[in-house]
Amino acid sequence: MRRRRSIFDIMRERMEEFEEFAEEMFERFMEKPSWDISTHSLEPLCDVFVSSDRVIVTADLPKVDPESIRVNGISDDLIEITAKMRVKINFEDLGVTHRRGEFSCFSCRVPLPVPVDISRARARFRRGILEITLPRKRGYEIKVE
Amino acid sequence: MKCLDEKVKIVERKEIPEGLKVICGLPDVGLVGTIAVSHLISKLELTEVAYVRSDLLPPIIMLERGLPRSPIRIFGNEDLIVLSSEIAIPSVAVHSIIESVVDWIWRKKAEIVFTLGGLPIPNRHEIEKPKVFGASSNETLLKMLDGKEIQVIQRGFLVGPQALILSYCTERGIPAVALLAESFYNYPDPEASSVVIQALNRMIDMEIDVSELIEKGEEVRLAMRDMMRRTQAELARMKKSHEYDIPGYYIK
Repeated sequence: MRRRRSIFDIMRERMEEFEEFAEEMFERFMEKPSWDISTHSLEPLCDVFVSSDRVIVTADLPKVDPESIRVNGISDDLIEITAKMRVKINFEDLGVTHRRGEFSCFSCRVPLPVPVDISRARARFRRGILEITLPRKRGYEIKVE
Repeated sequence: MKCLDEKVKIVERKEIPEGLKVICGLPDVGLVGTIAVSHLISKLELTEVAYVRSDLLPPIIMLERGLPRSPIRIFGNEDLIVLSSEIAIPSVAVHSIIESVVDWIWRKKAEIVFTLGGLPIPNRHEIEKPKVFGASSNETLLKMLDGKEIQVIQRGFLVGPQALILSYCTERGIPAVALLAESFYNYPDPEASSVVIQALNRMIDMEIDVSELIEKGEEVRLAMRDMMRRTQAELARMKKSHEYDIPGYYIK
């Protein structure tokens, strides 16, 4: 007789499916260069932290001119970060002699896991790290009886 | 003796004397150990003395001046040897590789093993000078850490290559110390590497200058971006975030 699946079995299966999907997406994301010759840009290392009331995005931006940093809201769950470097970097500067091209900026688009209120976002650049704080969109309050 | 996995082999390129100090700096949070040992290799002008060969690793070679090299190598001089890796150690291979390396260290009758790394903290960019914490394989070394003003981690989780180095060394009775600086999780952190080298200087009476590492911090961060990305992916597979966890309740 076939055993009836409990809610925990279903939840575990769903979690496993999600983990497999996330792993596949991550692998695909990893298998592309972190630089783009055509736009002379490097993709910065980024991190996204979600708390109960805000989303904090950080990006490591070595060698950039702080005045040139731009953060644009593309939608309520996607932002774009660009920054010009103080000096141009080429492959040879990084010890690579078999590739050609130079880089003058950092550029990336960061998908946000939850919708945010871009108009109330704040950003600061400290010790080479850009930190963007984005308040999460408020929902409706449900009265507790 | 337990028969170790033959899938990992340490190949010696030169005769390596017994009783040396061993310093490990494998890719982990902030690439703290990796950056630190790269600096040591450069400052002490260490040469390659051995390498790790393993079919558990992805099919990657490191080309240097056109010649193939293993991505995981051991550099050294007559006093010490340094374990370094150009690639993130795959989570599926980390146990076998570290166990084999520690077995080799044991056969070389190492005097002491240091593993250098980072301790991730969320507000790292607000901290001017990261603090160094320590853990060791025995009580005597804990007292030594205390004497060098390195705070011992009393309780908490350690995940990844350095956790295994400490664990396997303890099992084999090899004196081992983990020196861990507060660091970024997923951004290369040369400042954390510099304080960990300063702690190592105090532990073994070395005088490695770290000023160049600080001055060239931005270059290091730029050059280490791709390695950091790969390492971050492997650390996620190793469940590195366990280090943030508060261990379960215990009665004092």
